[in-house]
Amino acid sequence: MSTVSTTGIITVSNECKACDHCTFICPTGAISGKLGEKHHIELKKCINCGQCLINCPFGAIEDYSMVNEVKAALADPKKFVVVQEAPAVRVALGEEFGLAPGTNVKNKMYAALRKLGFDKVYDTEFTADLTIMEEGTELIHRVFNALGVEGFENSGPLPQFTSCCPAWIKYAEDKYPHVLPHISSAKSPQQMFGPVAKTYLPEKLNINPADITVVSVMPCTAKKYECDRPEFMSSGFKDVDYVVTTRELAQMIKDAGIDFLNLSDEKADKLIGLSTGAATIFGATGGVMEAALRTAYELLSGQTLDKVDFKAVRGLAPVREATVEIPVKALGKALPVNVCIVTGLKHVDTVIEDVLAGRSNYHFIEVMNCPGGCINGGGQPIRRDTY
Amino acid sequence: MSIFTEKDGITRRQFFKGAGMLAFTAVVAGVFAKVGVDVFAASDDYIQKRAEGLYTLDEQMAIRKSHENPEILQIYKDFLSPGEIKPVSEKAHHLLHTRYGKDIPGLIEELATHHDAA
Repeated sequence: MSTVSTTGIITVSNECKACDHCTFICPTGAISGKLGEKHHIELKKCINCGQCLINCPFGAIEDYSMVNEVKAALADPKKFVVVQEAPAVRVALGEEFGLAPGTNVKNKMYAALRKLGFDKVYDTEFTADLTIMEEGTELIHRVFNALGVEGFENSGPLPQFTSCCPAWIKYAEDKYPHVLPHISSAKSPQQMFGPVAKTYLPEKLNINPADITVVSVMPCTAKKYECDRPEFMSSGFKDVDYVVTTRELAQMIKDAGIDFLNLSDEKADKLIGLSTGAATIFGATGGVMEAALRTAYELLSGQTLDKVDFKAVRGLAPVREATVEIPVKALGKALPVNVCIVTGLKHVDTVIEDVLAGRSNYHFIEVMNCPGGCINGGGQPIRRDTY
Repeated sequence: MSIFTEKDGITRRQFFKGAGMLAFTAVVAGVFAKVGVDVFAASDDYIQKRAEGLYTLDEQMAIRKSHENPEILQIYKDFLSPGEIKPVSEKAHHLLHTRYGKDIPGLIEELATHHDAA
């Protein structure tokens, strides 16, 4: 067991000026402290999202680092170290090297990771696509069960909530245990990548799974907590070994003396590195929903979409809803699918209470803790220009 | 030298002092309000730009739907559901699905038994 479980991911340093700003940012009320006294994070309530960290005007909040463990694995010739990067990392990493927010640097990112010594550079977007396959199928099963179609009796209740965001999962477990049967059983893309890397790769590449180290680059501090959850060992090993944030990767690139901006473009490695546009948009609020709609529509209707954009689910408003008519071939009729997107956990309580009271008519609800989605995660570059 | 004396009315000097303080307070409040609005706008601005970055990248991708990713089709056919593309197969369920809250200890026990048997 690592020290994470006892110390927590997010801690307040002695630089705290007790300005109280974080107590307004924290979605769960986990931070307390009198004006003028160093503030304190209550471990039980903290969901590790790091929103306090990126919004602290004094840079006084820190996250647990696994960078030394990653460097040790890279330096160990016996270890076969593979890396995955979340969608949101590629449009923010460039900011640490002076580029504008939103600049896509994924091909330089792959090149930098190879220079750092990773044996294989894959992509979390591959397992984001895998998530859509599993979570989308689960949703279809739940809808068929609700419609009384035979053979789907063991499917869970509607609406189905997304399960990608570990801060949201901990919040639901802590505060709303009755809503848990509604959450998709599909693991997050990060946690799907781990067991795939430690079971599928050994078979294909003829390597010993015990030698594989899985590293994630995430826009998120809660992913560090997620990888340490004790149940994530379905490969027979710890599925994902270490997580570094976008900020920490930038620092590793600088420490290694790599001239990031002048790297030539490279691609991810084959086998579990190929991604689609559907996976790319996972990093923005509404993206998981849109990716799921693209696949669910085509699989249920047997038709090809003329336009793959579902612009109704996009935007930055904290709660959004839309209805999409899907002509379901198996039922011989069109099914109106009601979806809801929540970004910012401060807005999720009323949505959950409606579900628990039986007042909700949604089929699928996406929840992301950070306002705007993973692109504004607690592991992303800190925008000092906003102070 | 209080601004508010008990006498009726105020002197010319007191009026200027009071008016000056009010004007100063108004300017300071205005500056802070402007800073607040700017911070808020700037924060929304970079989130918006990162989101636009992802949507632009989506439009540039050769494949834009998860179920058309050839490596996804391959992992089902070769490994997760041999010979076919069948999500939530037994192997997919074991590797790619989880449980929450009070169901976690049972899952850990099942996984330990599974690995001992293997």
